Amino acid sequence: MNPRLARRLTRLYPRAWRQRYADEFEALLEAGPSDLRTLANSIFSALHEHISPTQGANMDPDLNPELNPDPNSLSAMLRRPSAFLPLAMSLSALTMVLVCIAVGVIAHQPAVHNPAVREDEGAIAHLWQLLMTVQMPIILFFAIKWLRRAPGQTLRVLGLQAGAWLASCAPIYFLHL
Amino acid sequence: MRTTRNVDQAESEDGAEPGHYSDPPLLVLASLAGGPKHGHAMTEDIAGMCGTRLGPGTLYGAIARLEQLAWIEPLPAEQRRRPYRITAAGLRVLRARLATLQQFAQAGLGRLETL
Repeated sequence: MNPRLARRLTRLYPRAWRQRYADEFEALLEAGPSDLRTLANSIFSALHEHISPTQGANMDPDLNPELNPDPNSLSAMLRRPSAFLPLAMSLSALTMVLVCIAVGVIAHQPAVHNPAVREDEGAIAHLWQLLMTVQMPIILFFAIKWLRRAPGQTLRVLGLQAGAWLASCAPIYFLHL
Repeated sequence: MRTTRNVDQAESEDGAEPGHYSDPPLLVLASLAGGPKHGHAMTEDIAGMCGTRLGPGTLYGAIARLEQLAWIEPLPAEQRRRPYRITAAGLRVLRARLATLQQFAQAGLGRLETL
């Protein structure tokens, strides 16, 4: 396999895993073929390593007590990208809607039941929809990764994410925007 | 222990699955029972032993978990390749697992003979 491709595949793994295995893994990749099966196997295994990191060898810095004395506290959970990104997206969407209402960019629209006569919703509406939908797979990833390992704190974060999502939907629903 | 995942398998001449054994950690232990090996040598050894060619991700997933369980241990790296060897605990586990498999195989083959 091309060394550059081998390096890129290795970069898909978590940093802690790479610190331990990157050199030998790259050497193994370079010694083998670069067929689709090898690529899929490496990508799937890297994803698996992110979801279920190898324990015991300090593969996951979040679970290393020397680096993080309380890895499952709410604040530690919220520092994970899959926890704070959905919150940030919901709050951004909410802020965007509230600012637009305040400056009068969007206003109440009477309900139109025939979709054919509806006008285009506009860029702001599309951006809002994008922010609200793209966070769904991130929330799913967070739940799959952390529910088994720290159910209590994960449920709290999921509650916050759900609350922020509903708060962002509330103006749209109540003001019929 | 992670078991059957992303294992490259060749099909037999009649197109049917040949039934290659695919428990990556056990295959790695069995390979290392023949002496220390690095990743590429393990892949080739396992392919020669049972026809199962482990993908690189699957192989290193098994290696990482076996190392964590202290059933194998790394040796000093040779350039970029790092050999591994089986530990005493790993040998005990391998012996027990293979004995179970032998009992299972004997029972299964015995039933086939009665057909």
